[in-house]
Order: sequence, then C-alpha cells, then structure tokens
Amino acid sequence: MNQNESMISFRDIRKQYGNFTALKSINLDIYKGELFGFLGPNGAGKTTLIRILTGIIQPSGGKIMVGPHDLFAQPDKAKAMLGYVPDRPYLYEKLTPLEYFEFMGGLYNVASERILSKGEEMLRMFDLWERRNELIESFSHGMKQKVAMSAAILHDPDIFVVDEPTVGLDPRSVKLAKDFFKRLIASGKTVFLTTHTLSVAQDLCNRIAIIRQGDIVALGDMKELQRRASMPGNSLEDVFLKITEEELAQQPSNL
Amino acid sequence: MSVYPALTRRTRLAAAGLVMNSLLLVSPALKKFRRVFSHRNRAVLALLSGGSALIAILIYYGLYRFLEYVGRAPMLGDTFGPILGGLLVSKLLEMLFMTLFFMVLFSSVIAALSSFFLNEELPTLMSSPLPIGMIFRSRMLLMTIESSWMVVVFFMPALYSFATALNASWPAYLLFPFFMLLSVLLPNLVGGFTALALAAFFPIRQMKKVFQFLSIIVLTALIFFLRSLEAEKLLNPSYFKDISQYILSLEVPLINYSPSSWLHQASIALFRNNTGEALIKIAPLVGITIVGLLLLNLFARRYYRESWQMSMEAVDNQVLGLEWLRRVLVWPFRWTDPVFRVIANKEITTFVRDPAIFSQIFMMTAIVFVYGYNLSILPLKDIPSLYSGELNDTLVFLNGPFIGFILASIGMRFVFPSISMEGRAFWAVKSSPVSPRKILITKLILYLLPMTVLGIILCMVTNSVFKVSHPVLMYMSYINVLIITVVITSLAIGVGAVYADFSADSPLKIAGSYGGFIYMLLSGFFIINLLAIEVYPMYRLFFNRFYATRGSSGLVLITVSSLLLLGCTAVWTYVPFRKGLDTIENYEPE
Repeated sequence: MNQNESMISFRDIRKQYGNFTALKSINLDIYKGELFGFLGPNGAGKTTLIRILTGIIQPSGGKIMVGPHDLFAQPDKAKAMLGYVPDRPYLYEKLTPLEYFEFMGGLYNVASERILSKGEEMLRMFDLWERRNELIESFSHGMKQKVAMSAAILHDPDIFVVDEPTVGLDPRSVKLAKDFFKRLIASGKTVFLTTHTLSVAQDLCNRIAIIRQGDIVALGDMKELQRRASMPGNSLEDVFLKITEEELAQQPSNL
Repeated sequence: MSVYPALTRRTRLAAAGLVMNSLLLVSPALKKFRRVFSHRNRAVLALLSGGSALIAILIYYGLYRFLEYVGRAPMLGDTFGPILGGLLVSKLLEMLFMTLFFMVLFSSVIAALSSFFLNEELPTLMSSPLPIGMIFRSRMLLMTIESSWMVVVFFMPALYSFATALNASWPAYLLFPFFMLLSVLLPNLVGGFTALALAAFFPIRQMKKVFQFLSIIVLTALIFFLRSLEAEKLLNPSYFKDISQYILSLEVPLINYSPSSWLHQASIALFRNNTGEALIKIAPLVGITIVGLLLLNLFARRYYRESWQMSMEAVDNQVLGLEWLRRVLVWPFRWTDPVFRVIANKEITTFVRDPAIFSQIFMMTAIVFVYGYNLSILPLKDIPSLYSGELNDTLVFLNGPFIGFILASIGMRFVFPSISMEGRAFWAVKSSPVSPRKILITKLILYLLPMTVLGIILCMVTNSVFKVSHPVLMYMSYINVLIITVVITSLAIGVGAVYADFSADSPLKIAGSYGGFIYMLLSGFFIINLLAIEVYPMYRLFFNRFYATRGSSGLVLITVSSLLLLGCTAVWTYVPFRKGLDTIENYEPE
C-alpha cells in the first residue's frame, strides 16, 4: 500500500432521497495497492457509495477523484480506471459468457485478443470454460457472479470495486475469489469491497471503514479498529458489533 | 414478500376457510400501474388525456361521416342505395368485430403465456398456501387487461360511430359496453385455454417453437380473414353477376358460427333499437362465456400448477438456433466503431434469441401484407383518365402518413422496447466509460437503418402502384418518408427511454404499456402535424398543373411551409431524444 498515492478520494459525498439521508458527508482516501473493506449493517449506505463511485447514481453533493481524474468532470477517464462487480449480478441473459465479455470489453475499448485470452483464463479459473457457449440465463446466481467478476477484469482496471463478492459463491469459489483479490493486490492494483462476511474482510483487508446510517463511524486497520472498540485481540465480528451498537445507542432517537 | 403486505394475514384467513378475493393478488400490478401516473407531470398528463380524447373524437366523427355516406350509398341510386347501404354498414361492422376478435385472441395467447408462466411474482404465489384457482384467476384478470385495454380504447369510438350512424337510441349506448366486455372476454377465454393446452405439450421456456407455431396460425388466420373479406368486391356491385348475388354476399356472415358474427348480429339489433332481439341474440354468448369461464377455472385448477412446474424445469441453456442469421446480421458491423459494434452485436443477438420476437415479425409482416393487399385492390383503373393522375398524386401524398403509421407500429414493437430491454443489466452500461448520449445515439442510428430501408421499400412499391406522374411529387414522397422515419425512430428511442421499464420481461409487454400508448399518440400527432404543413405545397402543385399561374405569394408560402417542415422535424426529432437522454442520465438502476 502506498499512502502517498490516493487512488480514490471521496470529498464530502452526500446523498439525499427526499427527507432520507443515505450518505451524510463521506470523506475517505483509498490508496494504491490497498485492499479496502467497507462494512456496515443493512441500509447503512455501502451500496449507495459504491454506486456513486461507479457513476451509476449521482450524489447530492461532493467530489470524487479516481486516480488523477474527477469522476463528475471526466467520467469516461475515471470510469475506465474502475472494474465493477455489483451485489446482484444482473447480466444480459441472452448472451453467452464469451459474448458478454465481448460486449463489456467493447465498451471499455479492449482489443479482441485480450478479451478472448483473459476471458478464457477467468472462465477456466472459475470452472466455467465448459459452459462458455451456454446462455447466461441458465446460470445460477454464483455462476453469474463469476461471469461479472471475470468481465470486470477484462480492461485491466487499476481499481476493482466489488459489492458483496462472496454472496452466492460456494466455499471453493470463495477461496478462488479471495486468492484472486490477493493476486490483484500483489500486482499493484487497488480493491474496494463491501461485504457482510466479516471473516473475508478480516482475512483480506488492509484497512476497513465501518459505515452506519450514512456516516463513517470507524476507520483503520484491524488493530486500530480493535483499539477504537476497546477490544484488543478480538475478532472483527466482535469489534463490528460493538462499534455499530455503540453508535446506535448514541443516536438521540434511541435514548 | 414486501409486495404482498397483506398476504400473510390473508393467507391465514384462507387457511381458516374464508373466501379469498383474487383481486388482492392483482393489487401489486395495479399499484405499479398507478405509480406510472403518480410521478408524471400533471400538465403533461392533462395534455395527453386531451390528445387521446381528441383522437377518439376524430375516429368517432370521421368514421361516423363515412358510415353515414356509405349508409346512403348514393352511387347505387336512390332506390337501392339506402337498402344496400344499410347492409354495407352492417358488413363493415362485422369486419370490425372479426378484426377485434382476432387481435384480442392473438395478443391474449401471448399475454397468457407471459402472465400464467413467466410472471416474476409467480414463484412467490406458487409457494404460498393460496388455492391454485385463486392464483389462476388473478393471472387471468391481469392477462385480460394486458391483452385488451389498448384494443378497447381504440375500438370503442369506432364502434360507437356505428351506433350513431344506425340511429341508435341512448339505452343502446349504455348497453353496448356489456357487449364489448363479451367481445373481449371470449377471445381471452380461448387464449387462456390455448396457453394452458400449449403448456401441456411445449416447455414454456423453450417458447421459440411455440411462438413460431402460434405465429403461423395467426398469419394463416389473417390471410384467411383478408381473403374472406373481399372488400374490393363489396364496394363495387359490378363485380357481381346480378343484384341478388350482391345482396346475398352482403347478408351472408363472413364466418358462420363465429362469436364475432354473433356479436355483430346482436350489436346490429341493439343499434337498430331492437333491444329485445339484441338480448336474445347475445344470450347464447353470455351462456358460452359463463360456461367457458367455469370450465377454464376447472381446467386450471387441475392442470395449472403442474404446467407451471413443467415450465420451470425446462430451461433452454444452449444457444438457440438461427445462429447463422445472427452471424449474417452482425457481419456488416465488424468494421464500425467498437462501441457501435458491440452494441449492435448485443442488440441483434438478443433480438434473434428472443423467442417472442418471431411472432412479432410475423405480425408486422402481416401488417405490411395487409397494406400491400389493400393497395393492390384499389380500383385505380376504373377512374376516369382525366382525374386519375391527380387522384394518384393525392394518394401518394396521403401514402406518406400511412407509411408513417406502419413505421410507428413497427417502431412500437421493435424500437420502443429497446431501452427497456437493457433490463436490470443496465448497470453494466451506466458504469462503463460510454456516455448515455453515445448509447442513445448508437441505438438511434442502429434502428434507423432497418426502419429507413423498410420505409423506402414501402414508398418505392406504392409509388410504382400509383404510377406517380409528377417528378417533384416522387422526390417529395421519398423525402417525406425519410423525415417520417427519422422522427418516428427518434420518438421511439426517446419516449422508450422516458417510459423505460427495466423490469419488464418481454418486448410485447413494453410495447403494450402506457409508454407505448404515449408513443403511438405522439406519432399520430406528428403525422397530423406533417400533413398540416404539407397541405399547402401539395395544393399549389395541383393548382399550378391546371392554372399555370406565376406569382411570388405561392413561392413565399411554399418556402415558409418548407422551413416549417424543417423546423418541426428538428423539434420532433430533438425534443423526445433530449427528454429520453435526461431520463437515462438521471436513472438510478436497482
């Protein structure tokens, strides 16, 4: 991890849906070569932040820098640096995995040779090569997740954004995915992931942020989080529950 | 389960043996429909409602004037005219009922397959302890509404114009909606039975074969229907050996023992104020409908769950046939810009592999066939030669809007759903470096290609049928069709984006949605707008032929008309596209 080189920089990111505040004011830096975990209870704002980062939704205010590019001023350049895997892998069902790769690769202007070679490598890694000529509509949730993950890597992005990467994956695939993220980090890439599987976050992440009700309530590496929760040596699960419950107790409405 | 907030409580009641209401199960769909209106601008809604009412009045009044003229039939003389005219009006009503019957029947089968087997609420409903009959009745209700609402909206003013032309009294107007209900329920019953029966023989998820089968049936039925009408003969008694044969051809039903025929006879009696006779004639149909509903209910209680389970099992996971067609269609795009190429590839691949699309192609082919057939039977050779040139030229002038309506119908089926068909996978495009503008422009260009080719072919064929005598008119007709094609395609993309439904499971459903209705309405407004602008130059063209006048006023007005035409084309092309783009830019996928 290179703390001198911020790959993603959130500045005062806010998101309002009518009277509901999904994100209060997010300020966060994610550095090159870092595997950053973003945790929080359901509805805390994790997916909202990821969707803003990937340009799917617009924030109510704030600024995001992706590498040297302003996401809102130069969306094409910023987005080209990102590879995104959503929590629910809705894909084009009438395409085969290879056709889907061709489509996604085309949107990112990737050469056909690279699409084919990288696509094959990823499908073989996820044991889907034999099913390359079948329509995606016949795939299970986990298989679609693997196809989405493979497509996200085709254009060799510097930053990999993954929302709930292990949902729907069998234990072997979870292991494969974890190894895959480690390899990405080893090759100098940056990974930003959200997960509810705290063991995955504990195993993989260099730093973790915990978000609750649209606000980051804890940020740091495992030791810093343990210190923050006054629970040295405890698991991330204990730390997470302690911090989120503390925050809940401090809410005026819950007093 | 959140879509059924009251379901759990109600389910307990059902288990306790209380009577459940199938309407409850329809409420999520109705709420969804209400939401479509709730967040629309009230002024736009008022404008669209006003526009719809205006079109309904135009259909009603225009057809009434036509029927009133046909009813008098002055071309047949003072004695026979009114007698034969009345028979002609009756025959036209019979044709209308038969058209309505076939249209609802066809769309009900497709709606039934979707509603009974592919609806995304079904797994939740089927896994609940609700009685299967109740689930089926709720699907049947949805399918009936889906397949028939648009047909009813467009046919009601036309049918009421028959009532006025036949001097119906007010009770007939009040009673007729019940006749209309029967005319919609009967084909839906047949459609429901057909869908359930098909499910017993074909795995629904491999519907390609089923749809092809259905399409062939419908196409055959349409051809049969058209041949059986022989409209060209009915309008010209000289085709018949004698008057008795002519009268006989008018009086004999198009198809004996067909529900549409019975409905026609009952409606004629009703419109002629023979209410008693009308009720006697409609009574058997009421009986058939009730018995049909009961039988369908029994049939569904016995087979519906089983056939739905079968439809879940058979997933066609291999690349479907017609791969050669896909390869041929994507081949020309190999040398285009990468983004254009991959979007074109994806659109074509999805198109070729969507089983429902084949029935749509057949249906569109049938529409074009009907159009060509109608042109081929026009009695142009019977018109005095002095006027034939002018009449042909007028027909060419009117032909543009007709081609426009055909293109709009095709646009509604194929272009309008293209944004919605991105479905829930739209996140992939939105998170990519390709801007929404580029996506929309790419789609616009992509769909403009086949639409333009089709428009030009239709124009070439019709110009040759009409033997256009004026070169200016010939060029104008092509320019006209090009303008229409650009606007109609832009409208389809723009309105399709504004009213995009990314959760819809079939292009047919999208085309039949509220947005599809708005698209057709706007297409109609544009064509009226185009006609209004072009009337003056057309008039000057004719005028100059007879009176070779020279003067600057005509030239000035023609220039003004041309500028107006350019301006309107630009506005009609840009505004919907811009609106669609704004919607897509602000759209937040699930």
